[in-house]
Amino acid sequence: MADLITKIEAALRGPGQKGIAGIWTDEHKLVEAARKTRESGIKKFEAISPYPLHGIDDAMNIPRSIIPYIAFAAGLTGCTFGVWFTWWTSAVDWPLIIGGKPLWSLAAFVPVIFECTILFAALTSVGAMIFLNRLPMIDPHTIDPDLTSHKFALFVAESESGYDAAKLEQLFRSQGASDVRRTEF
Amino acid sequence: MAGSNSNNHPAAHDKSRNVGQFVVSPQLKTVYSILIFVGLAGLVVGLMRDPSRTWMAYLVSFFYFITLALGGLFFAAVQHVTLAGWSVNVRRISESLSAFLPFGAIAGAIFWVGAPKLYIWLDAAKVAESEVLTHKASYLNGTFFTIRLILFFALWLVFKKLLVGASVKQDENGDERLTEKMLKRGIAFLLIFAITYSFFAIDMLMSIDPTWFSTIFGIYAFAGLFQSTMAFMILIILYLHKKNLLVGIVNENHLHDLGKFLFAFTVFWCYIAFSQYMLIWYANLPEETKFIIPRTEGQWLPLSLLLLIGKFFVPFLALMPRWAKRTPTHLAAISIWVLAMQYLDIYWLVYPAKYSTEVHFGLYEICVYAGFLGVFLFAVSRFLSRHNLIPIRDPRIEESMHHHVTY
Repeated sequence: MADLITKIEAALRGPGQKGIAGIWTDEHKLVEAARKTRESGIKKFEAISPYPLHGIDDAMNIPRSIIPYIAFAAGLTGCTFGVWFTWWTSAVDWPLIIGGKPLWSLAAFVPVIFECTILFAALTSVGAMIFLNRLPMIDPHTIDPDLTSHKFALFVAESESGYDAAKLEQLFRSQGASDVRRTEF
Repeated sequence: MAGSNSNNHPAAHDKSRNVGQFVVSPQLKTVYSILIFVGLAGLVVGLMRDPSRTWMAYLVSFFYFITLALGGLFFAAVQHVTLAGWSVNVRRISESLSAFLPFGAIAGAIFWVGAPKLYIWLDAAKVAESEVLTHKASYLNGTFFTIRLILFFALWLVFKKLLVGASVKQDENGDERLTEKMLKRGIAFLLIFAITYSFFAIDMLMSIDPTWFSTIFGIYAFAGLFQSTMAFMILIILYLHKKNLLVGIVNENHLHDLGKFLFAFTVFWCYIAFSQYMLIWYANLPEETKFIIPRTEGQWLPLSLLLLIGKFFVPFLALMPRWAKRTPTHLAAISIWVLAMQYLDIYWLVYPAKYSTEVHFGLYEICVYAGFLGVFLFAVSRFLSRHNLIPIRDPRIEESMHHHVTY
């Protein structure tokens, strides 16, 4: 039992990675530092901010989310399912003549098919969002508690190709980082 | 909201941004002159050889362009009422569409002459024969029809003055109280628009078969109005970009949002069209199904399917990706397609009432449409050449200048 709790705790904490973090007190400097970090050849790194930063996606060159495409595929699946399901229930498994209409009347089932499309697309989008964000990771490694109120950080993991702690520290400092530390995130 | 600095010196920002002044090019003048000439020639020949069909073609194009003109006024009013900041830089484009309204009023007066060729309820003998028409005569009669037409156009022209006139005036004096006035006038216009446009659609299109009725008809016409207005606005903006105007002022972010509206009202149109169809299909009442039956048989069936696929599925799928709404050539192609489908929609509402088994489409329809398009282009381009291309002193202009769409 105690073992299980430890495992769950570890899962909720997320995979810790060793690396280097720079901490800023000015969000504009962070966005600029992120741009410089990307230009120095680091492709994948994290930015931690208490609130959404304008232009950070562009500065870090974050690709667009694939969730729209997942939603579209799920919507198509839901639509197909709706067509099959209305046909199977109304015309095959339990045929009932209603109002003298044909057993499988598309006009009557379009609302059902439409709702299936929306239901599949919506639930899958939420599920994909949770999965892609590695939620529920409620207790990640903390670089600095102030990052949830008034400070901003960039974190580069050791495993990233082109990782050079000394060079990154120099880069962060030259971009006005108030603090640079070797840490885990 | 705009900062206090920009409120003090809005004009200083305009110069640096180079809004530019639109000049009607000789090519455009030639194009609309030819279109108007072709339209007049087609109308005269058509009225001599096949008057009832020509008046039908006239009705379709007349309704099509009145819809676009009102759509422009409606969109401008919505922006005032919602206190929208992002759309300030495209508002003048929507206002420009309403420049057709005075010409539309003249076209309406001409249509009034031809109306007896189309509406059997204007024929006293036929009304007397039919009990249904006798009962409907308190609404569907010549006098009330004339009063309605005059009233509708009078209201629309008054609100064009109150909304577009005030907007243009603000360019000169920068009076921010005009923005508040336009908000109140916008609310009044939206209420009046909802009623007048619904009844206009009923009078013009639905009453062509006076014993058929659909309570959702007004909003069906409105769905097409919003969709086609967005398409036309996008085309005007892209044309101006080609002329090196509005570049950087109306950018891909504004186009993206107009594209979203186009997408949204593509879905809305299908939703309303299906709602109308499904209820008629379910209830299966002869006085309602008589609208559907000729349109789902013989030569009209392919056109009905083309309408469903062309006005919904094609723009729905083609506008879905983000890049589609931010790529000018793609957006232009879809907009032209949607405008063609809007014509098909109105044509499909009108023509089967008389030609229930055969599709008649040819030179008459094309020429009359060309004529109306010519007048429309003349009115819109004249308006744009006489005014600033954006409301340069609108208090929310900074918001529009920095408009950015993340998703």
